[in-house]
Amino acid sequence: MNDRIQRLGLILGVAFCLLLAALTRLQVVDASKLQNDPRNTRGLTESFSSDRGSIQTIDGTLIANSDVSNDEFKRQRHYPEGAVFAPVTGYLSFTYGADGAERAFNDVLTGGALPKGDDSLRQLFQKSRHTRDVTLTVNAAVQRIAASALGDRRGAVVALDPTTGGIIAMVSSPTYDPNPLSAHSQDAVRTAWDGLQNDKSHPLLPRAYRESYPPGSTFKVVTASAAFDHGADLTSKVYPTLKELPLPHSGGRSLHNFGGERCGGTIADLLRVSCNTGMASVGLDVGGDNMSAEAQAFGFDNKPPIDLPAAAASHFPTAPDFKRLLEPGIAFSSIGQQDVSATPLQMALVASAIANGGIIMTPHLMDHTSSEKGSILSRYKPSEWRTATSGATAAAVKQMMIDVARRGTATRAQIPGITVAAKTGTAQTGTANTSHAWLIAFAPAEAPKVAIAVIVESQQGTGDAATGGRVAAPIAQQVMKAALGA
Amino acid sequence: MNVALRRGDSGTGLSLLLVAGVIVGAAYALSSLGETASLPVNLLPFLLVFFGLMGIAYLAMRRFAPGGEPTLVPIVALLNGLGYVVIARLNRDLAANQATWTAVGVLAFVGTLVVVRRAADLERYRYLLMLSGILLLLAPIAPGIGVTKNGARLWLQMGPFSFQPGELAKICLAIFFASYLTERAPLLTPGALPGSALAARARALGPLAGAWALSLIVMVMEKDLGSSALFFALFVAMLWVATGGYLWPLVGGVMFSIGSFFAWMAFGHVQERVRIWINPWTRASSDGFQLVQAAFAFAAGGVVGTGLARGTPQRIPAVATDLVFAAIGEELGLVGAAAVIAAFALIVVIGMRIAQRAERPFEQLLAVGLTTIVGVQSCLIIGGVTRLLPLTGITLPFVSYGGSSVIANWVLVALLLRISAGDKPA
Repeated sequence: MNDRIQRLGLILGVAFCLLLAALTRLQVVDASKLQNDPRNTRGLTESFSSDRGSIQTIDGTLIANSDVSNDEFKRQRHYPEGAVFAPVTGYLSFTYGADGAERAFNDVLTGGALPKGDDSLRQLFQKSRHTRDVTLTVNAAVQRIAASALGDRRGAVVALDPTTGGIIAMVSSPTYDPNPLSAHSQDAVRTAWDGLQNDKSHPLLPRAYRESYPPGSTFKVVTASAAFDHGADLTSKVYPTLKELPLPHSGGRSLHNFGGERCGGTIADLLRVSCNTGMASVGLDVGGDNMSAEAQAFGFDNKPPIDLPAAAASHFPTAPDFKRLLEPGIAFSSIGQQDVSATPLQMALVASAIANGGIIMTPHLMDHTSSEKGSILSRYKPSEWRTATSGATAAAVKQMMIDVARRGTATRAQIPGITVAAKTGTAQTGTANTSHAWLIAFAPAEAPKVAIAVIVESQQGTGDAATGGRVAAPIAQQVMKAALGA
Repeated sequence: MNVALRRGDSGTGLSLLLVAGVIVGAAYALSSLGETASLPVNLLPFLLVFFGLMGIAYLAMRRFAPGGEPTLVPIVALLNGLGYVVIARLNRDLAANQATWTAVGVLAFVGTLVVVRRAADLERYRYLLMLSGILLLLAPIAPGIGVTKNGARLWLQMGPFSFQPGELAKICLAIFFASYLTERAPLLTPGALPGSALAARARALGPLAGAWALSLIVMVMEKDLGSSALFFALFVAMLWVATGGYLWPLVGGVMFSIGSFFAWMAFGHVQERVRIWINPWTRASSDGFQLVQAAFAFAAGGVVGTGLARGTPQRIPAVATDLVFAAIGEELGLVGAAAVIAAFALIVVIGMRIAQRAERPFEQLLAVGLTTIVGVQSCLIIGGVTRLLPLTGITLPFVSYGGSSVIANWVLVALLLRISAGDKPA
């Protein structure tokens, strides 16, 4: 019998060896295959279900938070303010990743980036990391007013504090509700995503910082600055009154004024009425190399270092480009057409440069992070991004922009009791008979607290009703008024 | 033999118990570190309770079964403690219950050692035990007290307590088989009675058919494939050890295969189990979810594991009970899971050695039966979780959450110890 007992023990021993073999197959041989199996959502689910801090505006409006849910993800992301704040919050989707502040501040929200000073033992075992809440510089009241002022027209509004670079409002239209993209039913998420992707109006695109447009006459602010920075003799020059400007090397082409008007005079006069022939002449006088240098000083051809993902760079032809484009290129570029493109954020930064004595502060959304208990952990320190122009030039151009708002093309941007500085733009789109209505502005001119860029896309016709002064100025006026609490 | 054992005993058992305690205590501390990055506040009370309970088991063994195998209690303590740590990491409420069940299990262990002074005494009650075993095994079928959980009807509900009688039934039946087979072995042994081989075989078919029928009833009426397989394997193994020859295992195997085949033909739940065993991947989000998630858990653990409380085994359905081995595989890795398998292999080796050294055939057979229960049950469930076998709903002895399982297995260990200690009254 002892013999058989031994053999039974041996049989069970063999069985245990088979178990070890099966275990090794699962944990070693097939492990990477299993981990990469598309049905294996362990890693994704873990990151998706881990706790995540909330996002709120500077005036205390909750714009993204996580609630406990009773499914495998354990937490449901919510956007209480929905579509109006989507250009700021972005979305967080299990299937499609994240965008906007959700993506930019992911590490902070999840607590992924541990603060220094934690002892190593703690770090080694830390799993339930400390999530942090993010407070943005965005003012919810201003954001709502900007969204309703723009209405259902396509376009964007960017308002920021020129002294700090803090974004006050950032609106893009059309927009989308990020809530369906964070749903836990993957079918529902896919349906919502496909709907947004197939929408020809591109609601998912945050136009404010990721779409470029020809800036049109708003760019004349840069051209005027270039005249002061690169040609002292130009500041007092009186340009001839013209209806059109013939251009050399263009095969007889000439540059026209808006509505076939005749205009001329000093740079201040040219800017006030947005004189194309005059400002193009200024650009030609300044020269292509200097125009390129000035545009780059204002941030063109640089990606703005804003704390949002994939901000688009704006473009102005470089000095070598002008060797090819010659005079017509310089002339059209000086009035913000042809080879010039700018994001609404970039044009707001142009306004902020003039407002802030020539210095562009780094644009940002982050104001501070705080712990779950509410104590402030880190505060954003404003920093200079670049010097666009000298203080003297900025002061001179500011006076001209005040004049534009007072008695020029941007009178609709006026706010009673507050000095507004502004510049309109009505940019040709390349599509016949449509134009983009622009306005850049800042206020109060004496001590600016808000700088703004507004664009309303593809206005029908090229007449007065489609101009930046008509269409964009009232929007900017409302937003600035709200930002100043006036 | 016993003298030698006793001499080595005084040190070995205690120091092994200490090692088990250190491992379990360290696992408990690591689990808390993994979860909250801080040492558990109740580490000291936990260790006191652990050593208290295991110390009681150890002292009871020294007092009531002197000379008993000293390594068994430390191994069981290690498995039980590790199981508790994993359950505590999965679900605090379950852990509190499991601690209570462990305490009751240790009491049952002591009680068994006190009451059963001689293993041979059990022989006297063999028909009572047989009846109890069959009744316990079939009790869940009875309307009113039987309860179906997770598709299997193997629970008794009495007031707030639910109880899995099959866990105790297997011990009762092991005792009965041991007694019955000891007496009948000469008759059943092939070739033992030349000239009346036919008659011998006819007589032998009686109990074999009985065991076969019982296991099929369990499979069909209670939908408990695991207990059915365990019970039948136990009977065939004991029959073979008692009589020798390959006839009975062969006949038993064929009969069980035929029964299983018809069960597979006739019953949806058997078909489903087989289908998801062969390929769980095409049904990864429905029937196969549990097995697929278990596979992902093992893969996530890799060789060294994610660390206690650092993985996500909560995704696996029934992870604290039947699938607890997947949680161990994920968080302790191949290394930890292999250690658990090694612990069960050690129990089998020790149990078989006890069987070989036992003084009488009844005790030998009983030790074989009890050891086979632990060995086969752990193989069935680990094999099921790793997809070596179809997954069946039985517990991993000492490790899985569950009062009936913990208590019954402590009783089983007490009986093994009693056999190893011999008959000398304390």
